[in-house]
Amino acid sequence: MFGALWLITFKQWGAHSIRVALTTLGIALGVAVFFAIRTGNATLLDSLHATVEKLAGKATLQITAGESGFSEKILDTVRATPGVQFAEPVIETMAQTSFADAGTLLILGVDTTGDQQLRDYQFDRTQTQISDPLVFLSQPNSILLSRAFADRHGLKVGDKLALFASDGKKEFTVQGTFKPVGVGEVFGGNIAVMDVYSAQVVFQRGRKFDRIDLMNAPGVPVEVLQQRLRAQLPPGVEVDRPEVRSQALENAVTAMRVGILITSFVALLVGVYIIFNSFTIAVNQRWKEIGILRAVGVEQGNVSRMFLSEALLMGVIGSLVGIAGGFFLSSAANRVMRGMVAAVYGVVATASPAKLHLDQCAIAFSLGVAASVIGAWFPARGAAGLDPALALHNIEARRRESVLGWRRMGSGLLLIAAGSALVAWTPSRLGLPVQFAFASIVLLGLTIVLPKLVLWSARILRPILNWIGGSEGALAVDAMIQTPRRSSATVGALMVGLMFVFSTASYIQSYRQMIDRWMNQVLNADLFVATSEMLRSSSYHFNEDLGRHIAALPGVDHVENVRFTAIPYQGDTAAVIAIEMNSFLERSQSAIEGADSSSVDGLLTHGEGVLVSRNFARRWGVGVGNRLTLEAPAGSLQRPILGFLDDYRSEKGTIFMDRALYKKYWADDAVDFINIDLKPGVDQLAMKQQVERLTAGSFHAFVYTNAEFKRWISSLVDQFFTLNYMQLVVAVMIAILGIVNTLLISVAERRREIGIVRAIGGLRAQIRKLVLLEAVVVAFVGVIVGSVAGMLCTVFMSHTVSLVLAGYSVPFYFPWEFVLLSVPVVTVVSLAAGWWPARHAACMQVIEAIGYE
Amino acid sequence: MFAVTYMIQLSNVCKIYGDNGAVQALHNLSLTVEQGERVAVMGPSGSGKSTLLNLICGLDEPTSGSIKLEGIELSALDDDRRTRLRREKLGMIFQTFNLLPTLTALENVALPLRLQGLRRRETEDRAAAMLERVGLKIRSHHRPDELSGGERQRVAIARALVFRPPILLGDEPTGNLDSATGEEILRLLDDLHREFNTTVLLVTHNDLAAAFCDRILSLRDGQFVKEVHTGRTGTASAGEP
Repeated sequence: MFGALWLITFKQWGAHSIRVALTTLGIALGVAVFFAIRTGNATLLDSLHATVEKLAGKATLQITAGESGFSEKILDTVRATPGVQFAEPVIETMAQTSFADAGTLLILGVDTTGDQQLRDYQFDRTQTQISDPLVFLSQPNSILLSRAFADRHGLKVGDKLALFASDGKKEFTVQGTFKPVGVGEVFGGNIAVMDVYSAQVVFQRGRKFDRIDLMNAPGVPVEVLQQRLRAQLPPGVEVDRPEVRSQALENAVTAMRVGILITSFVALLVGVYIIFNSFTIAVNQRWKEIGILRAVGVEQGNVSRMFLSEALLMGVIGSLVGIAGGFFLSSAANRVMRGMVAAVYGVVATASPAKLHLDQCAIAFSLGVAASVIGAWFPARGAAGLDPALALHNIEARRRESVLGWRRMGSGLLLIAAGSALVAWTPSRLGLPVQFAFASIVLLGLTIVLPKLVLWSARILRPILNWIGGSEGALAVDAMIQTPRRSSATVGALMVGLMFVFSTASYIQSYRQMIDRWMNQVLNADLFVATSEMLRSSSYHFNEDLGRHIAALPGVDHVENVRFTAIPYQGDTAAVIAIEMNSFLERSQSAIEGADSSSVDGLLTHGEGVLVSRNFARRWGVGVGNRLTLEAPAGSLQRPILGFLDDYRSEKGTIFMDRALYKKYWADDAVDFINIDLKPGVDQLAMKQQVERLTAGSFHAFVYTNAEFKRWISSLVDQFFTLNYMQLVVAVMIAILGIVNTLLISVAERRREIGIVRAIGGLRAQIRKLVLLEAVVVAFVGVIVGSVAGMLCTVFMSHTVSLVLAGYSVPFYFPWEFVLLSVPVVTVVSLAAGWWPARHAACMQVIEAIGYE
Repeated sequence: MFAVTYMIQLSNVCKIYGDNGAVQALHNLSLTVEQGERVAVMGPSGSGKSTLLNLICGLDEPTSGSIKLEGIELSALDDDRRTRLRREKLGMIFQTFNLLPTLTALENVALPLRLQGLRRRETEDRAAAMLERVGLKIRSHHRPDELSGGERQRVAIARALVFRPPILLGDEPTGNLDSATGEEILRLLDDLHREFNTTVLLVTHNDLAAAFCDRILSLRDGQFVKEVHTGRTGTASAGEP
């Protein structure tokens, strides 16, 4: 029997090839976006893991202490620990070269005598006259380059390469090159090796290392050695396997990855509506056929299976096409994501070609097929539930009643209320999957009430359209009144697409406003000097001398050195902003809450307490008066929390402390930002140029005026959301496919009606107008319900998602101006979507349409 | 001498379907219908009745020959002009009524006027008057599925005549009705013909419907084979009892 049903299905596909193609394309686009993001994401993580793995070499354990490093004395302790076969110190930093287009170069400072035991360096014997180039690195200012980098910039042995170090530009002599294997593969070959002790001097690390890589002796389990080392080493120094470090890198970019992943589901979700729409249409078109099949003895199950297997096949084809397209797009997605993690998190990932991850293929394929089957589920169930006798007559009216009944409306509203209540009152610690499950209940409720909303909207719009668009306007709206289910599926697809567009726009706007407010409170110096054009550089810093030089410039009133770093905190990380508390309090007192300023100012400036960001307090459940314990290289630091302030630079939370306190405990006087206050009347731009002249050629410094600095931070916010915008565009494109699909079907279903209008004197132009108006009405209703759903989604994103991911909620702001702007945009887009169906309708043969003969 | 302008004039009209001339629906058909005349075309299925009607409506084009409505050559007009001609000169009633299911009776009747671009208030007033004329004022706001077959055909007639077309074309106007309702519809058409002096061309199987006309033409295999004058007055003047 199933063979016969398949035959019917294929005949139907032949007769409705455009609908089938558009539906499959909807699924393919959804899967493509999802797969591209997943693959881009996986490639990014692979790249982060591979970088850590290659740089770690054969090391089984790594010793670190946050970004500020630790005393080199620890190396002796480690080497003296029983069970350590060998241990090698490392300084790892990113440096700018004097080549304009070279990007950053990873400098690996290693012990020239023993590092080859750990890491794989394959030297170019043709380029190097020595048997062991690493030995030569002990000569000051010597450097080894990857062959890739040397070739790209025409560097040979003996050539000079200029690098920007903390105290200015330094020249290095190229002593040799290594092949693009092992370490040479990292960062696409943008890697250089130098002596660790030279690196200490050049990059002003004092007598500290960033890391020690070590191998356990044979017969000593890694875990045992790890415990042994932990017992030996001071607090704040961590001993972990290399994979834990790469996991930490992965965790650092989690918020971005999750955010992007969420939006990648949107396209797939829109695809579900397209499938639902398509199958609702298919069932509508095939009433009689279903009735006949049921009448001749096809069971309900087989009717349902016939539709579901159609959906399955479309899902399979759409998913395969989507995976192919997604793989093609994944390189672009990965490029954008790499840019984002570098800009926002300071994590540089190696550019690597996208790899086809079978697990990602399986997930995308399964989701594509599942989306297709889920979308077809209710229409298939509806088809199976037809009474054969009624199906042979007029079933549409009966079904419409059941779909649009008040009971369904009530259950839809109940789901919306229940889902909203669950989202509002469930603690955020339950995590995003649970919160998303609750949000899905709201979306399900909205979907259920949608046909009724479409019907009401259409009834309200009918007299208006009748007045504006004449009889064509009324007829256009009538299509929605006649088939609210079909229209509501398209409206639903638009609703989901626009819901995410509006809420993302709203979230970004809210976020921007929040950041603007925060910047006005906290970032109020006249000029800023930064080490990187990204939010921060984790490896390149200034020294305090630069601040002193700037302070000596005429017109400068005051200079403030700021250290912005990350430290280990309770198994995770926290950001630390070490600032000269005196001047910070002078400028930003109003931003601090939770404490009486007169009583805490003295304590803060004397390093007797710290401030924490709100998201830190929320993440770790601490408040004013609680004592924080921070493990620093100089020992355990315990200080009370004296107040809160808003800070959005780290989703892990930020601790503010006096710079002197930080320097004392972390033995780190690096500087990431220099805040400059000018004397009254001094021109910011003129002074900016002076500072640029001072730093030019010596420091890799970026000088901003206050306004430029704020604009730069805003541009980072935009960059953070770039990929979200791109995905939403695709989601809306899929929704547009839904409009085209719906209109084509509407034209097909109203063939007779259109024929009658033509027969009694309707011009082709009037028919085109009728169809285009229908497109506009669908789009308009989509904008209305999309903005309602968008408001709900905005609340969800700005409160729940933001709270879970970043530890702070974003004030609710709904971008009405954006919604209003979307009306003409969506109208134009829907007119474009309606153009082909309208043309198709206008060219219809009247005689065939009205069924003469 | 003045040339006579016929309301409908067909000269040597041929219609062939299919690429290889597989089906010749009409053979050198010629016909003239004067103003106010009522003509019935009868014939078995496949004789070419509907093809003839489609060609006169301008919904289809002849393979050869000439068709003129009020002296206007249809083949000289593009699709839009033919459509305009249709909505200004031709009222059409169908066996299956062909009312738009989503529109009320009033809206259906007003539709041709609205398509002509008349103001809504005016179209509604004229449609209401026309519905009153066909006895359906109280059903103005009902949709077609809330009306009986006879009522639907009355609405269709009202729609066909609301813009006072000089020509009324009917395709089996009583074909879907029981005989009593069919007679009622024919009486209405008769009254309206007297009132508006419309030229009528009916395609029908129904002897009773044919008898309502002044002239009956029998069509067989695409050719007129017989012409009968019923003796009724073809050019009734307006207001004639």
